[in-house]
Amino acid sequence: MDGQLDTRLRVNTLRGGEKVAEPAESKKDVPLESSIPGTVPLESLLLTEELCRRPSRPPQYEKENRALVALASALADSPRTILQTLAETILEVTQSDSSGVSLLTPDGKRFYWPALAGRWTPHIGGGTPRDFGPCGDVLDRNMALLMRHWEWRYTYFSPISPPVEEGLLLPFYVEGKAVGTIWVVMHETHRKFDAEDKRLLTGLGKFASTAYQTLASIDELRLQISEREKAEVAVRELANGLETQVRVRTQELERSTRDLLDTNKELGREIAERKRAEQELRRSEAFLTEGQRLSRVGSFSWRVETGEITWSEELYRIFELNRDGRVTLELIGSRVHPEDIPLLNDMIARARGTGSDFEYEHRLLMPNHSVKYLHLVGHGRRDRHGQLVYIGAAQDVTEHRLSEETLGKARAELAHMARITSLGALTASIAHEVNQPLSGIVTNASTCLRMLTLDPPNVDGARETARRTIRDGNRASDVITRLRALFSKKHTVAEQVDLNDATREVIALSLSELQRNRVILRCELADDLPLVTGDRVQLQQVILNFLRNGSDAMNSVHDRPRELLIRTEQDKGDRALLSVKDAGIGFDPQSMDKLFQAFYTTKNDGMGIGLSVSRSIIEQHGGRLWATLNDGPGATFAFSVPGAANT
Amino acid sequence: MDSLQENLAGEYPLVAVVDDDESVRESLPDLLREFGFATHCFSSAEEFLTSDSLVQTGCLILDIAMPGMTGFDLQRELKLRGHSIPIIFISAHKDEVVRRRAFQQGAVEFLFKPFSDTALLQALNTALRVR
Repeated sequence: MDGQLDTRLRVNTLRGGEKVAEPAESKKDVPLESSIPGTVPLESLLLTEELCRRPSRPPQYEKENRALVALASALADSPRTILQTLAETILEVTQSDSSGVSLLTPDGKRFYWPALAGRWTPHIGGGTPRDFGPCGDVLDRNMALLMRHWEWRYTYFSPISPPVEEGLLLPFYVEGKAVGTIWVVMHETHRKFDAEDKRLLTGLGKFASTAYQTLASIDELRLQISEREKAEVAVRELANGLETQVRVRTQELERSTRDLLDTNKELGREIAERKRAEQELRRSEAFLTEGQRLSRVGSFSWRVETGEITWSEELYRIFELNRDGRVTLELIGSRVHPEDIPLLNDMIARARGTGSDFEYEHRLLMPNHSVKYLHLVGHGRRDRHGQLVYIGAAQDVTEHRLSEETLGKARAELAHMARITSLGALTASIAHEVNQPLSGIVTNASTCLRMLTLDPPNVDGARETARRTIRDGNRASDVITRLRALFSKKHTVAEQVDLNDATREVIALSLSELQRNRVILRCELADDLPLVTGDRVQLQQVILNFLRNGSDAMNSVHDRPRELLIRTEQDKGDRALLSVKDAGIGFDPQSMDKLFQAFYTTKNDGMGIGLSVSRSIIEQHGGRLWATLNDGPGATFAFSVPGAANT
Repeated sequence: MDSLQENLAGEYPLVAVVDDDESVRESLPDLLREFGFATHCFSSAEEFLTSDSLVQTGCLILDIAMPGMTGFDLQRELKLRGHSIPIIFISAHKDEVVRRRAFQQGAVEFLFKPFSDTALLQALNTALRVR
């Protein structure tokens, strides 16, 4: 068989499989009469551009990776049900209500649904016409489409319940030709699809293509194997017949010899068949390799007792190693970034010790000194002989990491800018903080001089005032130190931070400003607060921001005490929670989303950077930040970050 | 110079200091005593208002920014109660607007912290002369 396979033939054999559902007779497409283009134009249903505008969920690479690993192992273990597994995986990673895979029929006139998951599962085997339906639209436009209520246009969907609130569809291709779509549907309004869903579907679409080709190859292989078996039976029958003939009819020896020659020919044909089968197997391997290359995922197996390691081609490519050499832990170690060697050792020790699943991310240092980031997931299991074998996948996530690093730098710049901005607002209170001890110093020194110029000099009094001068000098110096810490550092520093201490420092710096604004600050700091890991100064920025926001929100309050309550407490799962509750004007719950957008402000003199920077700082610390309206007047702003033991 | 205050007031006048900052409350009385004044310190306006010293005070050295009642609040309250104690405001917050406002409301002098001993002495002389 040459390289140019007929796609139709493949679909035919694919449909010949046992478990891939065929379009059932009872679920035929709705007759064409009802699918005459109606009054609802397609454009009025399309929302595709919304995808970019909607706030996107953060990418969940770990979840995605696990899903891909599960799919890869499902493809190896039970390829027959791979499309159903794919539909279920899509449903899970996108958290949608229904999902499915649509394939073009061999005659290219219809789509049918071999696999559905979620609420539409009962409709497996149904389908839509090629030229008047959502899947067809996707193929016509050759792009992902987000559509609402397509039953308004394609009225034959009306009996299919529940109806579509919105659906996201993506084409997938085999050898450059679109052969089907994968799609997700929400039946309710509680969640809307966003760019992250499109990204997830795109990744899974590549897998769908691989799975489709693998299935097709397997089917062809099976056909060829059955051909070969038939040939073998024929050979056996011929041989049997031959024996009889030899025994009974030696006179027909000549004829039998001719039959034998035929048999040889048959055998020759069989060998050719087998060669073809092998070629097919290689092709299906090639498809898998191609899928791995596209998604930059390599797979591996590791037999822990013998140290035997097998890599897929993509892993050799990621490690930039030749396929000739034997893969050993030492060889891997030679590519791992020296700073991450302890991670590797830890992983090996854990795998040998517990045999439990592992997930790591470490760096590789290439001979040309470039650095790659590798995300590794391993699943450990015992084989028949009780030996521990790890099967896993490794993804080159360098691009993600580099863009995250760039983002981190931009974030640091922004945080620094916010810091400088608040510097202006703080100048007044800084002067106040420094002038207080300076005042003591000048007065004490004056008194001291006067006492010494008396006749006789009052040495004891002078000594006491000199001592106080020194103490006030130290106070002034402390103030300067705190300010330096708050405004000088620019890059993120990870250290163990006691949030209570950090909070006390911020309070010390802002107390006089709060007092000037007549704010009564109450402080409830928990004794059992876990330490957190992070950048002390950035966290203090957030606390300072909370305090200033709370204080500003009470500027116009005259009929009740301007109370500000700052508390720390231990949160669920060994996290540290800090909240600042004010009695101010609160905020409009309608604009809750906007609250955290950069440059959104309700203040006349505000820049609107504070809360958005605060949130990104907290997210960078693996935590979350939120705002709630109080039962009484005012609002509470809070964040929760993981304790140091968890990070 | 030490006897000047005595001559002007006919007795050692009591100078009251009201400031929430401890280092001021510690350092200022010693200097005032060196000048020859009797002094009494209070950490808040409320404390001063409820003290016995109120009627004897010849001059008040008053901080502007304090938790609770501010210096201005105390100035207004004293006026309402009919006490005309000369006031020297002191503030660590260098704000000319506040200073002008203080003078408009009848302050004798306004000193930004840190201030020199001679500036303080001049202010006290002015205040006691007013009295």
